[in-house]
Amino acid sequence: MASAELRLIRRRIRSVQSTMKITSAMELIAASRIVKAQARVEAAQPYTDKLVEVITNVGAASGGASHPLLDSRERRTAGVLVVTSDRGLAGGYNSNVIRMAERRLIELKNQRADLRLYCVGKKSNSYFRYRGYQVERSFLGVTDTPGYGDARAIANTILNDYAEEAVDSVDAYTTRYLSALTQTAVEWPLLPIEPPAAESEEGIATGYTYEPNPEAILNRLLPRYLEASVFGMLLEASASEHAARRRAMKAATEAADELTKVLSRQANQARQAEITTEISEIVGGAEALTAG
Amino acid sequence: MRLRRASLPDDAEDSAIHARYPPDGALMPESFHVDVVSPEAVVFSGEAELVTARTTEGDIGIMAGHEPTMAALATGSAEIQTGSSRVTVAVHGGFLQVFRNQVTLLSDRAEVVEGDADAAREQAQALRRAEEEALEEDDQS
Repeated sequence: MASAELRLIRRRIRSVQSTMKITSAMELIAASRIVKAQARVEAAQPYTDKLVEVITNVGAASGGASHPLLDSRERRTAGVLVVTSDRGLAGGYNSNVIRMAERRLIELKNQRADLRLYCVGKKSNSYFRYRGYQVERSFLGVTDTPGYGDARAIANTILNDYAEEAVDSVDAYTTRYLSALTQTAVEWPLLPIEPPAAESEEGIATGYTYEPNPEAILNRLLPRYLEASVFGMLLEASASEHAARRRAMKAATEAADELTKVLSRQANQARQAEITTEISEIVGGAEALTAG
Repeated sequence: MRLRRASLPDDAEDSAIHARYPPDGALMPESFHVDVVSPEAVVFSGEAELVTARTTEGDIGIMAGHEPTMAALATGSAEIQTGSSRVTVAVHGGFLQVFRNQVTLLSDRAEVVEGDADAAREQAQALRRAEEEALEEDDQS
């Protein structure tokens, strides 16, 4: 009969191994989803590029047009948008963004600015609510596979607040997908819109014909630009989330593998000790008989 | 100092005209590049000879050599005529840019439609309804 110690160790091995099955499955899932998420980031790129081109041209052609969305005004209320995931198990992915955003929130508080907090993803939402921040609006269930409609909803919310002067600036805290190996938490200014600078004089078209007129075009163009920025941001955040999760799960799988090795060595030792005890008992018993 | 004459050789101008209007009298329309881009994909990219689209001000037709234009698109169909074939795209909102003989249609919602302009218009209306519903849902939540 196996001793209590051996039984305990074997039970732990089984538990570690079943966890390992889960983590390695999650790793595989995350790996396959990175590819898709990355493809979506790339697919959204042409639209953003073209939009930037159009805005640059219109801006240059209308001679530095002014628009409420382009003008920065005195900041009384600062809007902060935090983009995290709905699920955990992604290493430092969420905490990096949250830490960065909270540092900024404390800074703003010290400057006596009013805050308006928007959260994307359950993680930031519950973090800030728990710590007594008032979350103005939260968007849940969008970070896994963000659609353009989600981006539009977020952009509309902050645009409305900006138009009503409920906020005077909006900065997003999110994760940029730099490569499959590097993703960093960044601050991403959203409003007022920083017009993309013209790269060269040569690329600017001056003699544009506008239908109906430059103001109306700009009026329609800038909200689209914000939506596209938010969409790009969500896509990158989603790709980063999957990359972070894959890395975390890979590390967990490796750790579990290592732990299994250590534990099975301990189990072998325990079993050997048991056998040795048993033999010495038998030998001792036999000797006692012959001696008697 | 002698002034340099900045002019083309005499026959160069002729050949440019001949390229446009071949001597046999057939009118060969020049082609230009067209991109139809939505946030989720490049819907169409290729050469075309004629693009017609519905702007907020009315229908607009674009051929090669059109002046730089920026127009706001309405909900409707856009047709891209390429040689003998014709591609119809349902568009809801967005912009049309003509710049350097390149036409770019940027739209939040654009789809290539099989069939004629009527089908495309219907599809465009469907895109609009989808958007309105999404916005309504958003307001309720």
